[in-house]
Amino acid sequence: MQLETALLIGVLFGGATWLVLQHSFVKILYGFIVLSNAANLFLLSMSGPPDGRAEPIAGRADTPLVDPLPQALILTAIVIGFGVTAYLVLLLYRLFLDQKTTNAAELFAEQDTSERT
Amino acid sequence: MHLVILPLLLPLLTAVTLLFWGRPSPGRRALAAVSAAGQLAVAGVLLWRTYADGPLVLPVGNWSAAFGIVLVADLLAAVMVGLSSFTALAAVLYGFAEFRPAVEHPLRLTLIQLLVAGINLAFLTGDLFNLFVAFEVMLIASYALLTLEADDWDVKQAFPYLAVNLVGSTLFLCAAGFAYRLFGTLNFAELARRAAAQSEDPRVTALALLLLVVFGLKAGLFPLYYWLPNSYPILPAPLAALYSGMLTKVGVYVLLRVFGTVLPHDLRGVHTLLAWLAGATMIFGVLGALSRNFIRGILSYHILSQIGFMVLAIGFFTDFAFAACIFYIIHHIIVKSSLFLIGGTAALLNRTDNLDRMGNLWRHAPGLGVLFLLQALSLAGLPPLSGFWGKYAILVEGLRLGEYGLVALALVASLLTLVSMLKIWNAAFWSGAEEREVRLGDRRWVGMNRVTTGMVLVSLAIGLGAEGVFRVAQRAATQARDPAAYIRAVHAVATKDTAERP
Repeated sequence: MQLETALLIGVLFGGATWLVLQHSFVKILYGFIVLSNAANLFLLSMSGPPDGRAEPIAGRADTPLVDPLPQALILTAIVIGFGVTAYLVLLLYRLFLDQKTTNAAELFAEQDTSERT
Repeated sequence: MHLVILPLLLPLLTAVTLLFWGRPSPGRRALAAVSAAGQLAVAGVLLWRTYADGPLVLPVGNWSAAFGIVLVADLLAAVMVGLSSFTALAAVLYGFAEFRPAVEHPLRLTLIQLLVAGINLAFLTGDLFNLFVAFEVMLIASYALLTLEADDWDVKQAFPYLAVNLVGSTLFLCAAGFAYRLFGTLNFAELARRAAAQSEDPRVTALALLLLVVFGLKAGLFPLYYWLPNSYPILPAPLAALYSGMLTKVGVYVLLRVFGTVLPHDLRGVHTLLAWLAGATMIFGVLGALSRNFIRGILSYHILSQIGFMVLAIGFFTDFAFAACIFYIIHHIIVKSSLFLIGGTAALLNRTDNLDRMGNLWRHAPGLGVLFLLQALSLAGLPPLSGFWGKYAILVEGLRLGEYGLVALALVASLLTLVSMLKIWNAAFWSGAEEREVRLGDRRWVGMNRVTTGMVLVSLAIGLGAEGVFRVAQRAATQARDPAAYIRAVHAVATKDTAERP
């Protein structure tokens, strides 16, 4: 289990990094969605291998329980990630309405940031 | 009511009230101003209590420290809360002077309060995951404020800011999980206790490096700073002042907290890396500033250069260097914010902040010129202004430690800071080309100038009363660098509560 989880996290992180480095802001957005999932999975794996452990319900003292804290952390992280993704989608939409493109290379093409009007 | 929760609760309650109040009106503004002043007063009481009695601890929900979230206000946190309240008050008042209620964006004041709530939580929390939540509260409010009043050209500059901070948040999440796996806790005090026992473990160094990347990114450390100088100039002047004063300093504060209190003190390699990254940040920041030709752009790059000084002091990692860093933070937040406000006033008078089209300000508004000179020379580090003492303390400590290369970098950066400040002075204030009109008829600048004058007086007081401020900084540094006392304070409260429980 451990090796497969580690491989999956690695593949997700790799794919997300590749997506984040693209020119298109939409691909960058997809990159973040994958990236936050990779991070959540990483967080989940931090509770250790679940083999031989029971689900975390209080009052069952006979078997060792799975550590519930990383799951609580993931819940928080999912909610925050959801909010930020929603904001990002709206920002992208506004960018698209204003500029008629969401490609970073086109958006920042003829821009000289050292001067402003 | 416990004192430690107030810096968090007041801005949150104000934000909700302002949100439901709806339209901007004088009454709504009065509430925002009174609340901001109240927060400053609370911060003052907190400062006095922590200076006299040491850390105040509040276990939220009365859970014992190892399992629940604790809020810890030591002197360093109290100083930072005071600075954030002060900057927020100045930004709010300056905003009032700048625009009539009718043209104010209805969400601006609400979002400022949410931003302050996030910043204060980041200062007060004693829990790594709670710190992540604080960062997110702060960042989401800052994303919204950044794009709230941006026009079509500007709004695309917000995307790199978001993108970089999102990557930072994800890495922070991974770091929190990693720390939990290593030590089995997220509480700062427990982390410090358990990390000290296994400081030889290479995984602790890995965690330290991961945290260095995360917080270096928030602070704007080389090579992770490029998101900052293009995104800050899209903000209106009072918000730019608040952002430049507080947001990057949250990163510096967390570096102080994590390396001083939480992680073991013998990570020499990481500290040296920190010092050299800081040296690179100073030089690249100030070179970037020289390359810009509009006031907000120059000032935005200067933030980076100054961050370099603070982080350099953290990298030296002695009690005295930490005190110098804290003094520098106190000086920098006020000077930097007021410079952004002065830049905003100058831009209002000239109707632009492009240096090629500014001028004549010294002839028509000498008061503004004096304010600018005082703050600009303080930023460059001329005695007896506040910037001099901070830089002097850092450089003396560098010389004592024999870090001549880093001290030389810092001196070059100071000199170039002066050059770029003279660039603003020459173009905007001194040059007297006839066609550069100064619109003194727009009386808004008088009110704006009053707010700025208040800030300049405070920063003059810091410079002239440097000894007293430095004593506070020294005590804050000693508290922040003493994990044993921190652990004792947190556990003392937890055990007392356990004993009181029926």
